[in-house]
Amino acid sequence: MSSSFRISLSLIAGVFFGFITLMITCLLTATSFTEFAGEIRSPEIISAILLSLQTSIVVVLLALLFGIPAAYILATKQFKGKNILDTLVDLPIVLPPLVCGLAILIAFGGEGILSRFDVLFTVKGIIIAQLFVASPFLIRAAKTAFESVDPDVVDAARTLGASEFYTFRKVSLPLAKNGIASGVVMTWARALGEFGATAMVAGCIPYRTETMTVGIYMHAMSGNTSASVALSMILIVIAFTTLILFKYLGNIGDGNTGTQGAAA
Amino acid sequence: MIQLDGICKSFGENKVLSSLDLSAKKGEMFVLLGSSGCGKTTTLSVIAGLTKEDKGDIYIDGSRINDTPPHKRGIGFVFQKYALFPHLNVYENVEFGLKAGNKRGNQSKRGGNRTEVKRAMELVGLDGFEKRNPMKLSGGEQQRVALARALATEPECILMDEPLSNLDAVVRERLRHEIAQLQRDIGLTSIYVTHDQVEAMALGDRIAVLNNGRVEEAGTPEKIFYKPEKEFVARFTGMKNIFKGKITAIDEDNGVAQISTGNFDLTTVFVPSSVGTRVKACVRPEEIILAKSDRNTSARSARNEIAGRIIRIFPNGPLMRVLVDVKGDEMSVDITRLAARDLGLGEGDRVLLTFKATSVHVIL
Ligand SMILES: Nc1ncnc2c1ncn2[C@@H]1O[C@H](COP(=O)(O)OP(=O)(O)O)[C@@H](O)[C@H]1O
Ligand SMILES: [Mg+2]
Repeated sequence: MSSSFRISLSLIAGVFFGFITLMITCLLTATSFTEFAGEIRSPEIISAILLSLQTSIVVVLLALLFGIPAAYILATKQFKGKNILDTLVDLPIVLPPLVCGLAILIAFGGEGILSRFDVLFTVKGIIIAQLFVASPFLIRAAKTAFESVDPDVVDAARTLGASEFYTFRKVSLPLAKNGIASGVVMTWARALGEFGATAMVAGCIPYRTETMTVGIYMHAMSGNTSASVALSMILIVIAFTTLILFKYLGNIGDGNTGTQGAAA
Repeated sequence: MIQLDGICKSFGENKVLSSLDLSAKKGEMFVLLGSSGCGKTTTLSVIAGLTKEDKGDIYIDGSRINDTPPHKRGIGFVFQKYALFPHLNVYENVEFGLKAGNKRGNQSKRGGNRTEVKRAMELVGLDGFEKRNPMKLSGGEQQRVALARALATEPECILMDEPLSNLDAVVRERLRHEIAQLQRDIGLTSIYVTHDQVEAMALGDRIAVLNNGRVEEAGTPEKIFYKPEKEFVARFTGMKNIFKGKITAIDEDNGVAQISTGNFDLTTVFVPSSVGTRVKACVRPEEIILAKSDRNTSARSARNEIAGRIIRIFPNGPLMRVLVDVKGDEMSVDITRLAARDLGLGEGDRVLLTFKATSVHVIL
């Protein structure tokens, strides 16, 4: 009885794993190495890679700048409307990126209240779109990290003469840093993979607003499969690295021993 | 001196402190004793400024500090669960307060805090632990680090929240002696919170018993444990035998008084009251001597002798608790296990209970 159950389980799981493996394998074998090497040397592909890296890194920095204070407040302060704010932060995670893109498009468009800013079809637009979609991941992770800092430890710092800011810098932030780091990784990966909102806001202008994901779409639609595949392969490598990094950060976060015996 | 005047604090509907007053004198070890959940931690937290009181005033050496933020109050705090900085080593933990309170001057001076840290570490016997990871230390060692960390900044006073409650018995007793010694040596004004009567008794210069969000009674350990003014305190401190009664005679010349419980009479020392007054007479179980006898009572002067019959015998910590039926009332008597065996006591045995008049405490 239990062995037939186990066999059915294995079969069902096997189908799932088989499917994913098959898809990835198809993608990886769709092009030869020489084709790949040629594609990633083409100026348009290089431009897309650079643009993606630049925008996603700026997005991570901006997310840190705005997200850390937001996360800290949500994690440690009690105030009216906190639940609403908390839900608002999560909204972009579940909302289709296209809808986020549309919101930005309307806000910065001709009739929009922010129309005086020249954002649409520019790199700024890409950054705003990615920030909108990706920063909640950082805020979420940082908030959880701040919440898991023992409040007694924070209080201890205060009774030892540390101001609120000193305590934030020397206690809360160092203790939350692994959580924040995994948030950074998630946010960066999300920004790098962002397509829907970016395409809505910045369009698909080669060399100007063509990020890697936008490039994959454009080249695939125009029949240039090898360019799409080349860009995809780079993203796959990044995705794997991200996952490994994420697991590593998760592991050292679990120990709760903080860091390596400090500055011994 | 730490003084609280009419402190109130509620968490939502839960009224935790209701007009709590207390004052700990300079250099004194003031123990707050109360059952779990009665608001001891909240009281300390209000004094330290970590919890904002709803009402009332907090004074340190006469100045009101209600609006002083916690980091400017100069009050050390030792937490129940140590609350060490897990990302810093032992040295850095102890040094934290010196750096935090002193951002301009000392920090730039290389090794400027070394002597202060070293002194604090020596005080608590942690020499050589500087480089250790605090999370890898034993509970007792962690609490020593917490103590050193709080002492390093030389606070005006220190608050300790059940600092020994998470330690095993042997360590707890040793550290308790050390804390008492340390506190006396430094002459540090201290408020020590505990739910443990033994600890309160051993440490306190004065003890305040907390009940219903206020101080029920405060005084020396002798007063709290042997001559409480409140029945709650008597019950809380293990005064098992409490009888309602009436004063039937007062003999001022011999310094004694008689109290009748209705079932039997008790002789006590002189009470400043009048015949007919309703009182409560209390006898601590360990003040009673038990003898095997079926002799009937003939109360001698300044001494109580009452006959009874054993209802039950059961272990009570290191002692044996004997429940005796005394003319319809129940009395608890504590005797050593050896004594219980030597007397060959058994349930149903007739016994004679003897205790001094001075052992009968009267609550008016
Ligand atoms: N931050 C808080 N929020 C809500 N309730 C609290 C908070 N702190 C304490 N309480 C409540 O106040 C009461 C007293 O708590 P506490 O002061 O910790 O008691 P004690 O230290 O004597 O065990 C408890 O009922 C507890 O649940
Ligand atoms: Mg407590």
